[in-house]
Amino acid sequence: MRFILNTGRTIVQGCHVEDKYSETYAGEVSTCRMNLLDMLELGVEEGEYVSVTCGSGSVVLKVVAAGEAIPCGSVFVPYGPYINHIMPEDTHSTGMPDFKSVVVVITPTTEPRKTLQDLIEDLGGRMYEIR
Amino acid sequence: MKFDDVLCPFCGCLCDDITVTAEGGRVTGVDNTCLLGTSKFLGDNRLKNPIMRTDDGWKDVTYDEAIASTLDALLEADRPLLYGWSGTHGEAQCIGVHMAELLGAVIDNTSSVCHGPSILAIQEVGHPGCTLGQVKNRADVIIYWGCNPTEAHPRHMSRYTTYADGYFLDNAFRDRTVIVVDVRRTETAELADVFVEIKPGGDYAVLSALRAMVRGRDEMIPDSIAGVSKEQLRHIVEICKNAKFCAVFFGVGLTMTRGKYKNVRNAIELVDELSRHTKATITPMRGHFNVYGSNEVNTWMSGYPYAIDFCRGIAFYNPGETTAVDILARKECDAALIVASDPAAHLPSKCIRHLANIPVVQIDPYPNMTTAFCNLQIPVAVSGIDAEGTAYRMDGVPIRLRKVLETEYPTDTMLLGRIYEAMMEVRGR
Amino acid sequence: MSELLVKNAYVIDPVNGINGEVMDIAIRDQWIVEEVGSGAMVIDAKGQLTLPGGIDSHTHICGTKVNFGRYMSPEDMRAGRMPRRGSMHATSGYSVPTTYGNTYRYSTMGYTTLLEGAMAPLEARHTHEEFTHTPLQDTMANTLFDGNWAIMEAVRDGDMRRVAAITAWTLSAVKGFAIKLTNPGGTEAWGWGEDVTCIHDQIPHFEVTPAEIITAMITANEMLNLPHSVHLHCNNLGKPGNYTCTLDTFDLARDLNKNRQTLYATHVQFHSYGGSSWKDICSKSEEITRSLNSKPHIVFDMGQVLFGRTTTMTADGPMEFNLYRLHHNKWSNHDVELETGAGIIPVLYRRSNLVNSIMWAIGLELALLTDDPWQCCLSTDSPNGAPFVRYPEIIAMLMSRRYREEEMSSVHPGTEHRVPLPAIDRELDWEEIAIMTRAAQAKALGLIDIGKGHLAPGAEADIAIYPIQIRDVDPSVDYMKVKEAFATTAYTIKRGRVVARQGDCVVDGINSTIWVDPQVPPEYDISNDPEFVKKFDRYYTVRMRNYPVQDVYLERQVCLRPEVSL
Repeated sequence: MRFILNTGRTIVQGCHVEDKYSETYAGEVSTCRMNLLDMLELGVEEGEYVSVTCGSGSVVLKVVAAGEAIPCGSVFVPYGPYINHIMPEDTHSTGMPDFKSVVVVITPTTEPRKTLQDLIEDLGGRMYEIR
Repeated sequence: MKFDDVLCPFCGCLCDDITVTAEGGRVTGVDNTCLLGTSKFLGDNRLKNPIMRTDDGWKDVTYDEAIASTLDALLEADRPLLYGWSGTHGEAQCIGVHMAELLGAVIDNTSSVCHGPSILAIQEVGHPGCTLGQVKNRADVIIYWGCNPTEAHPRHMSRYTTYADGYFLDNAFRDRTVIVVDVRRTETAELADVFVEIKPGGDYAVLSALRAMVRGRDEMIPDSIAGVSKEQLRHIVEICKNAKFCAVFFGVGLTMTRGKYKNVRNAIELVDELSRHTKATITPMRGHFNVYGSNEVNTWMSGYPYAIDFCRGIAFYNPGETTAVDILARKECDAALIVASDPAAHLPSKCIRHLANIPVVQIDPYPNMTTAFCNLQIPVAVSGIDAEGTAYRMDGVPIRLRKVLETEYPTDTMLLGRIYEAMMEVRGR
Repeated sequence: MSELLVKNAYVIDPVNGINGEVMDIAIRDQWIVEEVGSGAMVIDAKGQLTLPGGIDSHTHICGTKVNFGRYMSPEDMRAGRMPRRGSMHATSGYSVPTTYGNTYRYSTMGYTTLLEGAMAPLEARHTHEEFTHTPLQDTMANTLFDGNWAIMEAVRDGDMRRVAAITAWTLSAVKGFAIKLTNPGGTEAWGWGEDVTCIHDQIPHFEVTPAEIITAMITANEMLNLPHSVHLHCNNLGKPGNYTCTLDTFDLARDLNKNRQTLYATHVQFHSYGGSSWKDICSKSEEITRSLNSKPHIVFDMGQVLFGRTTTMTADGPMEFNLYRLHHNKWSNHDVELETGAGIIPVLYRRSNLVNSIMWAIGLELALLTDDPWQCCLSTDSPNGAPFVRYPEIIAMLMSRRYREEEMSSVHPGTEHRVPLPAIDRELDWEEIAIMTRAAQAKALGLIDIGKGHLAPGAEADIAIYPIQIRDVDPSVDYMKVKEAFATTAYTIKRGRVVARQGDCVVDGINSTIWVDPQVPPEYDISNDPEFVKKFDRYYTVRMRNYPVQDVYLERQVCLRPEVSL
């Protein structure tokens, strides 16, 4: 199904910007918040996984029911390394990529959500183990 | 030790009424902070010493070694990018500009992926604004457009707008009308007197309709614009025109969605239009506590707020070309110095892939996503906790960050100062 | 210890009554002395014109609105680009240059001391930060009090001691130099989108008038014994017919100080308009200078307009909005809580425009019709009338009737019927120019005692040597030579060191900030006054503890501590 994706700040994401290797941060920024009706139509329940795809690739996120706060046809994902994995880099000559109102395709999936380490290694980075 | 009236180094609200208790070299308690501020003050995840990436892992290095290695990386590069800057104090940002000038580097700050488009709009049409105290003391209509202060600037409403005491308002909360415009019903929307739900990407059209209606051109407006009824638009126009002081705040809901700077331009022009009927102001909700300071410093030092390219010797500015995302996505820079920000958590993956392929030095107190993509990270004191310096609030008011901890870490100013001096030895004069 | 000897200098030093003598100037460290040893470094001035370092008593170089002028104007930044070179940093900007652009260009023009025309107390830290990056001049800041709530309340209550106490605390807290009033009362009214039309309008909610604020601040200024007088930007700037308001304002000032003026009126050109609309606007420079000539206790600066592109910026927010509605370019505004405002718009002054041509003429007329050059400081209110780099043109025009006639022939043809300029023969001489560009400023600002604006032993060694042999030049004919000479010094010496040579700045430099800390007795320390503290805590968005500018912002400083009489 096609959706309009908006990314943005959340308080939990904000509280962990200096603690990005915590489970809470990874958990928060790998959620996809949806309207209940859209979840019904998509056939997913809270806590299940969806694959979110746009021009630059796909990423697996966990569904969070957002009640009426998110209108049908839109999803919201907190800023962070998960969603930015698929955000397009074109800035239309403004310096700013599209981080909001991006068209994505969402499908239910049984694939596992990647760990932060996997994401990092996919991009050519290497985890630093915090002591 | 207890410190009163400490500044919070988190968001652009730059609250300066925090009480901090510090014992044994750490912050043990805070008062008056929001959740974001609390987590920053109490956070304890600092990198202990400089670390350098090796073939099979990471090794600890000394500050001297780290500085030498930073110099090598930057001096060998043909097109270095110096990026970040929003989470440090102004004095360090100044050294950054000098460094960019000396290296012929590009220097950009996080506003290019935040309110950069707002700056472009301001460069087209200007900016009728004010300090936050004007709003606090006078505004009877507050509009939050495309922003969610409850989660991103949690004390904004209590310190500066809805719930703040105001000289000219008997009962601030009752006397103010709060309008929230957004594409989803955020927590902030729940607190509004009027919530306007716009279809994603519809901001430009709604702003245009409002401008037309303020001009008295109701007849040209269709019954519904981007999901908003004409009736509701008329209601908003009435509220604004009858306001004594109408304060608009906008967030990245306008800058990150299609139209970008044109959305902001339209919002500014709405305020311009309203200024012919009443007092109206507009203020961007700046994110980092000192992102605006970085724009200010860059401007008085180089002439431009961000995206400055010194490769020609002169300061050259062309957002869309000289902005970090574009330079990284084009694989143009061949080294990067990242200071006080975390691009690997916030930029598109293509940019991060390029970071993984070039020498990257990061100066930051905490391990973050960019740690995984840098060759070297040098920890520093945290501005506003164990380092002093200047920060500019979202409205341009400069306040001095206080220091509540003694530290062994160098400050950004000390570290960058050493690197710059060493560069001058090689490249200067 | 370093010693320098400037030999064969053709000196004009009006403060010391020297008008064209060839002499040597001995310098030890930062001071001018009687003599130096034989080992001193020697600069041969070869008979070139040698003056005390230039002083600008009203310019906008540093601070929130100046930086906003840059921020909003990449088109202006592109107009003044220079790469890093020697000890000079890269610069950008023409009408609002970067701080380094300002400092280098002023320095190569021989300027060594600058007064920032308007600093909002709440944002003072910003001004001081930029001062630090303006290393080749000593700096000071006019501090805005035009819409200060605590002061308006004290004025309303008729409590002059309280007015003085608040002023003293504020100046000292923000490390300001002088009292600035910009459209007094008007900036507060603009907080509601309103304005005042002249000195007797009531200011909304505060039950005081601009006249009461001006009079009270003049009184407080003298009680605090400040080096400078009240520095006033009159109400009703830029409107046809505003000269009557200006005249009424001048009438408020009585002669209260034997060492200097009691009132400094800034950019008077913008306040000297006759007529009732843009259609019949005309010059009232004769009426204005008639008043000034009879009031030696008022000093003013010109606010000369020159044709071309520039940026206007002032704390006078409502005026900028009106100007914006004429120009339709782009408009920024920045009101400052409990204190003042600011507005910025880019403008283009055109020769083909009648109003602009009249403005151009008025500035010159003010200088030419003022009998005593000590009363008239040369300025453009930079960058409002024109960027300061164009001062040499003004000097040349004041010295040459022929140059003025030539310019007059290319302005709007309707101008000559509305201005007295064509009938004015006066050509200023070198000494008058020296007075109007440094000596009068030093006196008006009260800086002679700390060694500014003159060249006698004991003075600070701030010296400008211009590449011109004035005995060989007739300025009324060779005005282009005059213009060229004042554009670039042969040498600029600051604090005893050569800082600029033939257009190149040769050292990094460190500025000194001059500020005042009036010695108020403890019982008048307003920061202990419960009512003041309560209102501060309640209505400012910055805590009182975080308001004062810390010492660390002033790398070098000269603090003046006047004894007050409260």
